[in-house]
Amino acid sequence: MTAWGLAWRTIARSPARSVLAVAGVTVIGALLFNMLLLSRGLLVSFRDLLDNAGYDIRVIAAQGSMAHRPPIADATSLAEAIARLPEVESIALVRTDLGQVSAPGENAAWTPIELIGMTDSKGGGWTIVKGSPLPTGPSAGEPPVVVNTTLASMLHLEPGSRLRLRLTSAGSASALPLVTVRVIGVGGFAFEASGDLNVATTMAGFAVAHGTPADRQAEMVLVASRPGAAAPALAAIARLRPDVRVLSNDQVMAQFNENAFSYFRQISAVLSSMTLAFAFLLIATLLTMSVNQRLGEVAALRALGFPRRRIAANLLWESALLVGIGGTAAIPVGGVLAIILDRILRQMPGVPARLHFFVFEPRTVVLHAALLALTGAVAALYPIWLATRLPIAATLRREILS
Amino acid sequence: MRILPPRLPVRTVYPIIEAVPAVNRARASAFAAAFVIALAVPAAMAPTAPDLPPMLISRQLAEQEHLHAGDTVTLAQDPRGTRARQFRVAGTYEPTPDPMRFTARRIEARMHLPDLMAIAADPADPAASESLSAINLRLKHPEDAVRFGSALNARAPGLVVRPTVRARDGSDPFAVLERFHVAVATVTVLGSTAFLLALMVMRAEERRETIGIIRLIGISQRSILLEVLVEGMLIAVAGALFGIVLAVATQGLVNHFFQWRYDTALVFVRVTRVIALQSIAVSVPLGILAGLAGSWALLRRDVLALVGR
Amino acid sequence: MPAGAVTALGDVDIRVDAHDYVAITGPSGCGKSTLLHILGCVDQPTAGSLVFEGRDVSTLKESDRSRIRLTRIGFVFQRFFLLPMLTAWENIELPQAEAGAAKPARRDRTRELLDYVGLAGRRDHRPSQLSGGEMQRVAIARALANRPALLLADEPTGELDEETGAQIASLFDRVHGDGTAIVVVTHNPAVAARAGRHLAMKSGRVITS
Repeated sequence: MTAWGLAWRTIARSPARSVLAVAGVTVIGALLFNMLLLSRGLLVSFRDLLDNAGYDIRVIAAQGSMAHRPPIADATSLAEAIARLPEVESIALVRTDLGQVSAPGENAAWTPIELIGMTDSKGGGWTIVKGSPLPTGPSAGEPPVVVNTTLASMLHLEPGSRLRLRLTSAGSASALPLVTVRVIGVGGFAFEASGDLNVATTMAGFAVAHGTPADRQAEMVLVASRPGAAAPALAAIARLRPDVRVLSNDQVMAQFNENAFSYFRQISAVLSSMTLAFAFLLIATLLTMSVNQRLGEVAALRALGFPRRRIAANLLWESALLVGIGGTAAIPVGGVLAIILDRILRQMPGVPARLHFFVFEPRTVVLHAALLALTGAVAALYPIWLATRLPIAATLRREILS
Repeated sequence: MRILPPRLPVRTVYPIIEAVPAVNRARASAFAAAFVIALAVPAAMAPTAPDLPPMLISRQLAEQEHLHAGDTVTLAQDPRGTRARQFRVAGTYEPTPDPMRFTARRIEARMHLPDLMAIAADPADPAASESLSAINLRLKHPEDAVRFGSALNARAPGLVVRPTVRARDGSDPFAVLERFHVAVATVTVLGSTAFLLALMVMRAEERRETIGIIRLIGISQRSILLEVLVEGMLIAVAGALFGIVLAVATQGLVNHFFQWRYDTALVFVRVTRVIALQSIAVSVPLGILAGLAGSWALLRRDVLALVGR
Repeated sequence: MPAGAVTALGDVDIRVDAHDYVAITGPSGCGKSTLLHILGCVDQPTAGSLVFEGRDVSTLKESDRSRIRLTRIGFVFQRFFLLPMLTAWENIELPQAEAGAAKPARRDRTRELLDYVGLAGRRDHRPSQLSGGEMQRVAIARALANRPALLLADEPTGELDEETGAQIASLFDRVHGDGTAIVVVTHNPAVAARAGRHLAMKSGRVITS
């Protein structure tokens, strides 16, 4: 009989104990799987959001960051210069500000919103669910806007509805004009959080709301480089204007990774370590108790001529079977748990609705299996030591007398 | 109580909700964080100027720029030195730990509001000197904060009035994190319950013959059950207490690590009395039930089967 | 009184030849089992040597001693020590598999041994389904699985009634008659009487041989 065959028989000998042990490994393994998913989930998900926006380079003012973006001086000229670069395929200007909207009518309540002005009519990944996207060219009459679904639902807006809009720029109490805008579409915005109220318009519309002619300001220039030309595009833009910061998607990721995401990576590391320590303790305890219950059998096998390595192999296989079966079952259980935990964490205010904390990657399964296997092997070391080092004669004597 | 303009001008993934001491003056630090200290003039290079306006700087800023009390620094709105003014470093302070910004390097300073306005306010905008980002209020009856906030929101529609107490609607980030951690803890308890049951079953099996002999000589099932119950309770209580001690010990390790990692005084883990009691309330009954469950099947088995006859 | 070192055996000098049938008797604690364990390479003497088939066992590595126990010595224990999760067939087959015997050879030998001990009809029964005597017969079959030169038995009838003990004693006769040397530690006069040589021990010493 092979070592794993004997190990299987040993485990099957006490079905209740083995089922419970496997159940324990399954649950703890599921938690470990989730923590491993969490360690990279935000990065992968955010990267998807960035990449799906269609731009791989972002240009902001030198003194700003992705979280705080002061205006870029003479942004329109900069954008034109960038657009002429051979490495660049397309660009878009972005500016945002805070404001309020209300339905037409004297006593209508004002609702705070964020106004987004963009030269990309597709909005860099917006999903239009009703109506049409922003026009590509100039439009006559009232500035066209696309509102997000939350705002549309709150104010019962449809394509064709009108809104009153006024900006409330921070740091300035100067009166800004009240502007009437026309809703032409309703959609989901790429980075909107649940509860966010967003209104998007053209740059011309933004300038109207701001009460100034198109003032060539923007707070961010989005750049899509030609395939394979991201690095040269980055360098070329940096040479154009030393007073701006040029960030690739990787660099944007690094910023968010260091700031916003690091808490969850740390939590993931701490909980993964604790889970592995937990699994180690429990498997080691189970196996040790199992060996202690079978000392007579082990001594008899040693007396019959079974070498130490065979005894060790049996125990290693016992651990491998418990951890292997439990670890395999942990993947689907962990998947369900990930959905539940993801749903909890996405309730956090300010989190983009399309961002996920737990994202499945095949490498996570491999890492999960490797960590559990290592833990099972290490957990078996002490029971193996016990079983292979027991004094055969003394153990036999004790078993007979007990 | 904080009164804010309609929306804070932030674009982070998580909104900045600052833990605000309830003081009745505007927080200049929100503006000061947006500025750059253009240069620091060591006291040796400039004559001591006690008449310069004073400024407090955060410990992190002092360490980064090697500043000390008494140094003279120049503060400007931007790296070009717009509206630059000199200040005297009056001292350093440890920034109030902000759980929403614990990863941020707290490079900040505090000064009197008129001094900040002199730098921040655009002279071309006549209303700029009247502009604030927030007003903090301390109420005579703090328990009325929510009601007061609602009333003020209704009367001044352009403002956002927010009590500093945590929102009860569950959208508070800490409420979300709490739910997350409770979910993780629940899963951990489930997993450990399975293992505990396995261990209890093994323990019961170990004593199969002993229990059989005890029953053979006439001890009742009830007495044996009571013994199992008492034993389970002692082990569960000892285990729970040991767990609390271990948690208290490891909380120090976790806090030290994160405080070092993020250079903050924030406390990340705290085992409070309530948490300790909750842990005992969960683990002790679990331990007792696991002991009973493990022994139950054994106690119901035929006596002769127990002694292997 | 403080515990001190105990001399389990002293000045023991014995020789067991092929085809010997030796019974070791003596009161409890006289060192019978210790002597058996040393003869079986399970335990090592603190002084002196054990030569087995011309090899000094004390100079061998543990893996080599294990190999000797597996292929040249068979052990029968008072408490049988069968693996409870294996059937009678599997218990007997196990040492053969460990010794590297091919599957057809293992099958034939196991069948032969079950017939030999009269348990062909119980091949698929687990130890919990066998009586004490049947378990001991399976244990003897297991001990003979790799055709050992020497069979060591430590109180083989200790857990059995008189009639069953006699059956086991008869089985030992047969094993001896087929050419295996036997050393048996026993309190059972019926078993001791069948041996060709007797060693009486007292206080760790062989007093009569």
